[in-house]
Amino acid sequence: MIDMFQNLGLGLSVALTLNNVFFCFIGCLIGTLVGVLPGVGPVATISILLPVTLALDPTGALIMLAGIYYGAQYGGSTTAILVNIPGEATAVVTALDGHEMAKKGQAGLALGLAAIGSFIAGTIATIVIAAIGVPMTRLGLLFGPAEYFSLMVMGLVFAVVLAHGSLVKAVAMILAGVLLSCVGADMETGRERMTFGLHMLSDGIEFVVLAMGIFGFAEIFKNLADPEKRDVVRTSIGRLLPTMRELRENVGAILRGTGIGSILGVLPGNGAILGPFASYAMEKRISKRPQDFGTGVPQAVAGPESANNAGAQTSFIPLLTLGLPPNAVMALMVGAMMIQGIVPGPQVIERNPDLFWGLIASMWIGNLMLVIINLPMIGLWVKLLQVPYRLLFPSIVAFCCIGLFSISNEPAQVMLAGLLGLVGFALWKLRFEAAPLALGFVLGRLLEEKLRQALIISDGSMLTFVTSPLSAFLLAIGAVALLIAVLPTIRRSRDEVFKDA
Amino acid sequence: MSHDATPPRLPPKPIIGLERLAGVCLVAFGLFAYYASSELPFFTQGGVGSGLLPRSLSVLVTLMGIIQIVVTWNEPQETTGRWPIRDMLPVLLGIFLFAVTIRGFDFGAFKVPVLGMAVATPLAIFCSGLAAKDVRVGELAIFSVVLSAICIALFRYALGLSMPVAPWAIGY
Repeated sequence: MIDMFQNLGLGLSVALTLNNVFFCFIGCLIGTLVGVLPGVGPVATISILLPVTLALDPTGALIMLAGIYYGAQYGGSTTAILVNIPGEATAVVTALDGHEMAKKGQAGLALGLAAIGSFIAGTIATIVIAAIGVPMTRLGLLFGPAEYFSLMVMGLVFAVVLAHGSLVKAVAMILAGVLLSCVGADMETGRERMTFGLHMLSDGIEFVVLAMGIFGFAEIFKNLADPEKRDVVRTSIGRLLPTMRELRENVGAILRGTGIGSILGVLPGNGAILGPFASYAMEKRISKRPQDFGTGVPQAVAGPESANNAGAQTSFIPLLTLGLPPNAVMALMVGAMMIQGIVPGPQVIERNPDLFWGLIASMWIGNLMLVIINLPMIGLWVKLLQVPYRLLFPSIVAFCCIGLFSISNEPAQVMLAGLLGLVGFALWKLRFEAAPLALGFVLGRLLEEKLRQALIISDGSMLTFVTSPLSAFLLAIGAVALLIAVLPTIRRSRDEVFKDA
Repeated sequence: MSHDATPPRLPPKPIIGLERLAGVCLVAFGLFAYYASSELPFFTQGGVGSGLLPRSLSVLVTLMGIIQIVVTWNEPQETTGRWPIRDMLPVLLGIFLFAVTIRGFDFGAFKVPVLGMAVATPLAIFCSGLAAKDVRVGELAIFSVVLSAICIALFRYALGLSMPVAPWAIGY
């Protein structure tokens, strides 16, 4: 316990240097900006900025990128409440009751509760990370290749279980993602695989190219095909700060949301995205007037928003302690660490304690900044929402092109991302989800590496995955999760959680 | 947001249906990947060969496609709706133009010189902007020039990315 506060103290001393406060602020500001603007997500933004971080010191770079991620969660709720478009995937739930509140002239209250809830959630999640960071790292050090392999398999199974819609399609997307990660030179023999002699593929498909294609460009194609109606709230925003009574009424929802979000966020396979849905379902279940949900209930904003922010932060835990990215943004963070010569994994906490604790402490500072950035400056963000889409998407195209080109000064990467944008559009048309594909792609290479190492150690025996108790345990959890998801009754209730929203 | 006020017609009968088409695409992708990785060795003496993962995965993807077709066979099928390729074309062209002008491109028959950010960025913005249904050409033209200037200032000078700006005018 005392250790934890000492560590947080070290973190604060790193995060509070002028430089790092500045990067934290820049990150939060950019994050809010891209969160507010529908159609630009944190994935695309971090991809664009990845080459830029090369010039920064590692701690500052990661603090900034993390700020973009959780800042986008804050910004996303603003758009959800005021325009009824989730600026960010996890703000879908917030739009339901948040926008209804805005129509009733309570936009300020909704925004205020979202911000206060997020801040409380962020504070608690920071402490959670600090508290379980060290034990998780110790656990990570016990992991050999076989255990890592099984852990990743379990993570991918969770990604299937947690995905919306068809299980078959989600499994197919994950497999396709891993398959795509195999493209390029074999890491052991250097032999080219599935490159068709194309020079640009011999290093494999860049993750940033894939992400910008299927998330960035595809999003633009989607919006052009199916123009969204923007109904920006014209009524006044109203007062931002809730009264003591309103705060009392919502503090339960905020704390429950924080709990749910924190737990789900740690799950490998992007559990963070499930947090808001689960919190909404829970608030509805325990509410005395569940029939009011959907007509502007404050608890339906406060709970999911807190869950959302808590999950965004605790999803750093698998990355920082085990080196496993649970979602696409964390995969980009792996990229950012690698650029700086830091190999993510349990050894980071020992070798780079400044970075580890500094990053964690900066999240709390960032959350504080976000309240300030979001509430008093709300008018500015509303103005920004009035930028017409006809000017917004060409700007996104330009930013993406510049970002793509800057990866390796290679024009072919830009073209490949354009083609992948078409693929992403087709996936959307065929109702495939792109997120499991990206996750499979991210974990694919690591998966193959660990598989090989494990089989070398075991002299080629596949039994190594079940004879190691830890590995067998992880695989068993995955198998149980998959079984449960296939059971018809559970499937139905899972669909209900998403349908409610 | 359609402008025509015709009464709603019955949706056109799907040829193959969305869910089945999804399965067919998976099968096609799986088979293609299997073909692409068919030369790679499954096992080597040291253990896992470079073909083990790609080939087993492509078999699994094909299998998922078949399952998808089978389980959705009797479901009522929807169409995939409109594929607005024409609306997307300007954006694709914008991306393409950026790619060929930023550092020059050799098409064999002719060569595009290195035009740099000063040309590539406004081209990409203007061209892709034409995709909007409510496009205003004058506004877009001014916007593309202004935003390009901001981009150059931001990415080349403030953030220090090494990208050609306008080699034909200022030498880098």
